[in-house]
Formats: sequence, C-alpha cells, structure tokens
Amino acid sequence: MAQLVLNGLITGMIVALPAVALTLIFSILKFPNFAIGAMLTASAYIAWSLNVLAGLPLLAAAVLAALLFALAMVLTDRAVFRPLRERGPITLLVASMGVSFVLENLCRLAFGNLARNFDIPIARPHRFWGLRVNQEQITTAIVALAAMAAVYLLLRHSPLGRAMRAVADNPALAAARGIDRDRTILWTWAIAAVLTTIAGVLVGMDRAIDPLMGWSYIISIFAAAILGGLGSPVGAVLGALVIGVVQEVSTLVIASNYRQAVSFAAIALLLLFRPQGLLGQRRIKR
Amino acid sequence: MIAYLVTILTLVSIAAIVALALNLQWGLCGMVNFGIVGFVALGAYTTALLALAGTGPILALAGAVAVCALAGGLVALLSVRLSEEYLAIVTLGFGEIVRVVSLNEAWLTGGALGLPGIPRPLIESVPSESYDWVFLGLCLLALAAVFLLLESLTRSPFGRLVRAVRDDDVVAATLGKNVLRTRVVAFAVGSGVTAVAGGLQAFHFSYIDPSQFTPIVSAYAFMAVIAGGRGSNRGILLGACTVMVLLEGSRFLKDFVEVLDAEQLASIRLILIGLGLILFLIYRPQGFGREPRRSAGSLLGEAAADGRERTS
Repeated sequence: MAQLVLNGLITGMIVALPAVALTLIFSILKFPNFAIGAMLTASAYIAWSLNVLAGLPLLAAAVLAALLFALAMVLTDRAVFRPLRERGPITLLVASMGVSFVLENLCRLAFGNLARNFDIPIARPHRFWGLRVNQEQITTAIVALAAMAAVYLLLRHSPLGRAMRAVADNPALAAARGIDRDRTILWTWAIAAVLTTIAGVLVGMDRAIDPLMGWSYIISIFAAAILGGLGSPVGAVLGALVIGVVQEVSTLVIASNYRQAVSFAAIALLLLFRPQGLLGQRRIKR
Repeated sequence: MIAYLVTILTLVSIAAIVALALNLQWGLCGMVNFGIVGFVALGAYTTALLALAGTGPILALAGAVAVCALAGGLVALLSVRLSEEYLAIVTLGFGEIVRVVSLNEAWLTGGALGLPGIPRPLIESVPSESYDWVFLGLCLLALAAVFLLLESLTRSPFGRLVRAVRDDDVVAATLGKNVLRTRVVAFAVGSGVTAVAGGLQAFHFSYIDPSQFTPIVSAYAFMAVIAGGRGSNRGILLGACTVMVLLEGSRFLKDFVEVLDAEQLASIRLILIGLGLILFLIYRPQGFGREPRRSAGSLLGEAAADGRERTS
C-alpha cells in the first residue's frame, strides 16, 4: 500500500508537468490544448534522437531538446493558433487536435512503432524502510519538484509571470497597461514546451518511448488539470498527485489496464459535483 | 478492380453516416465529440452481440441505436453544468473507456481477438457472388435514410433551435428554450446515428476487433465535416466522399512508392488529415458547403406566398 502511494506520487509528479503546461495555455489562450499528449511524445523523440542518434549525454540532450521543442511550439503557434486566435475555443481545440495528429504521426513516420529507450545505465533499486525506490524515481522526484518550483517562482515573482497572470485575468486590461499579449503568449508556449519535454524525458526514462506514449497520458493530464480547476497551476499539481495516487491504489481493486478509465471516472464525478475543481475560483459559465 | 470499388463505396457510405452524425453534434449544435469512434465501436459491438445471439439484423441494429443514444445522452448530461470545452474531454474519455473495455473484457467482446462470425443480413437469400453489391445497396439505403432524417431535422423547428443554442445559448435560454434538453437530444440522436454506422461495419466485415476502431475513424469524420462545411448535410456528403476517396485511394500509392509500408502510409494519411483540418479552419472555415440559412427576406416572402424554402 505504501509502495503504491509512493509510485502514485511519482507518477503524479510526471503528470503534473504537462498538466501545468495545459493549465497555463488554457488560462492565457482560453482553450484546452488537445495536442498536449502529442507534445509529450514529440519532445521525448527529439530528446531520444539527440541522446541515442547524436550520442549526447542525456542531460545535454534533454536541455537541447527543450530549447528546440520550445522553438517548434512557438512556430506552431505562429502558424496555426495565431490566425485562429479570435475564433473561439471550439475552433482552437479542434485545431489543436489537428496539431496532435501531425506531431504524433510525424514521430511514427520517422521512428516507427517500436518502443525506444534512452541510452542510460540500468541501476539497482534502492530500499528505504522496506519501500523499493528506483534510481529513475529519485531523479523524477528531484527534477519534477525543481521544475515545479521554478515555474512557481517564475509566475509569482518575475515580470513575465505578472504579465501572464494579467493576460489570463483580463486580456483587454492587460493590453491597456501596455502588456504585449503576443509576447506573453510566445513565452507561455515556450514554458509549456519545456515542461512537456521534461515530462517526456522522465516518462522515457521510466518506461519507454513509443508513438502512443502521450496518448496514454492525455486523459490523466486533463483529469489533473480539471481536478485542480483549469487555470490554476498549483491546483494542477495537486490534482496530478491525487490522480497519480488514485490510479495506483485503484490497481488493488481494478485491473491496471483501467488506469485511464479511473482518471476518466474522476473527471466525470468532479464535473458532476464540483465543476470548478478543487482549487478553481473561476466560475465556469452556465 | 470492381470488387475493390464496391468495397470502397461501402466504406465511404459508412464513413459518411459517421460524418453526418458528427455534423448534427458539432456542426449544428457546437458539441465537439472527439470520442465518436467510441460510439461507432459501441454500436458495432452491440449489433454484433445481438446478431450473434440470434435476434436478426434489424433488431440488432435497433438495439445498438438505443444503446448508443442512451450512452450519448448520458455523456452529454455529464457536462451539462459546463461549457462546451469540457464535453470534448468527456467524449475523449468515453472513447478511451470503450476501447479499454473492448480490449480487456474478453468474456464479452472477445478481447484483442474480436468477435468473428457475425451473421450478415440477407446472406441466405442472395447469391454469394452478388452479395457485395446487395450489401452496398443496403449501406446506401441506410445513408439515404440517415441523410433524409437529418436533413428534415435540420430544417425543422428543432434544427433552428439547435443552431440557436450553438450560436448563443444564453439568448436561446432567455427566449424560454430548454438549452439542456436540446443539447442532450441532439447528442443522443447523433450517437444513435453513429450506431447505424457501427452496425453496418460489423455486418460488412462480419468480424470486429478493437483495431478497427482507432482514432483515425474520428479523424475522418472531423475532416469530412470541416471540408464539407459545418451545418450543411449536403456538403458533408460531398466532403465525406471526397475525403474518403482521396484517403482510400492513397492505398494505391503503395504500389508505386515501394519504400513506404502500410504503417507509414497510415501515418502520412493522418498527417494529411491534421494539416487539412488546420488549413480548412484557417482559410476556409465554412468548408465547401454552406449551412442552409434563410434570410429575413425569404422568410417574409414565405409568409406572403406560404411555400418554397430557399437557401441563401
């Protein structure tokens, strides 16, 4: 049981990163980005190419992948989302599904359906008080916590963070105060891309990289973000931890194939009984 | 070659039914259904299970329609308190659940092996060499029936209500319309229509397994609706045929371009659909077709002359 909770917390930390990315994009651009799963996949493949094909050490590969992928998402925003900015959330979310098809299948076309692994040594699991902890899990916890802390500081205490919160709150007022919305949006995509790259690399270390890896997380990511009340980064992190633990612990009673279904059930219950999420203050319309 | 064409036409008409259903949900009512493949699968499995239990094809199909309409209504109800964006994720989750259940509950669905030996309609009374033609006829008949049903629905007061709810639910509510019921009914009817497509697919292959119901089914439907023009049933019919013929035709590419295998072709197809969706949304959001709308002038003219419906 304690082992399951621990595994769940680690899974939750991985899910938290794209969930924060999703929630940031939602609060700035006002649409749920269905490409978030494919972004995870694509960034993991970029890191894998740099690590295995180009022979860079994993850390360098991950950093470079994050930069490249941030650039890619900024360009995607220019090409796809910017022309559609004023067309409402439905158009944008359908467009994001289109982006998702393109990203995921570019990966499949380039790398095939085979599962790939990073070039890292396999380490023996450690044992603490009877709990089994992998080296990867320790790395995951440290990296994910550091990333979340960095995002928190960025949002709370930097001019960019203030600009993002202002645009999220009231774009017109923010514009009137001289905040450049387009620049804020570009940075939002860049931060989201870096967060998904970190998550993509962590998932790749923990399991393997295949074209469907993002797809298998997408419902958990959405569940986490909705649980936290879409638009609240801290809520998304808490939501992710709850979803991670619930998924792992549910394997005691339900077959583990039904993980995504458990996330879905969490969304369904939440939407029925507390649609504003755990920490959401924003009143959702209707 | 002819046999190949008949098969393609059969698949095109099945896909067109899915696209028409999506048009009712998304095009007319603004409810994005990313899990439409889940409803197709649910319809196919229900039809297959009932047909295998010996109910006969008509009852099996009717049962599937009922089950899917009920499921669609419940899914739509889940997101009643929220804006439309949430329905998209709820439907995606629904599709995933259908997939996971069909893959894992082998006692019911045969798991990854699927359900073989689904009895095809009219198989005894038709000579086997012309059976494909007869089945194509059945599919076209179903497509025509669905088209006529949805077309009359679109032009009925309910159709206007549905569009009013899509364009501004607050205004519709202010005018005393029941927004919630409208959405749930529209979504349920759409889901029922998808069940017909699923059932026909089960009969066509006489064998179903989870690998037939991949997101590409949803992708085709979205592409057909956006290319055909949201809201226009006629446009969708045209859009679905164009999309399917182009994409199915790309199978021929395999014979010319030998470096590509089937898997790569499938991914190229999805990349093209993704790009197509984006380009249409940016450059031609109204698609090739046009939503039938009456201008105030035609309504006034109609009030005077009591008659002809014009699209403007």
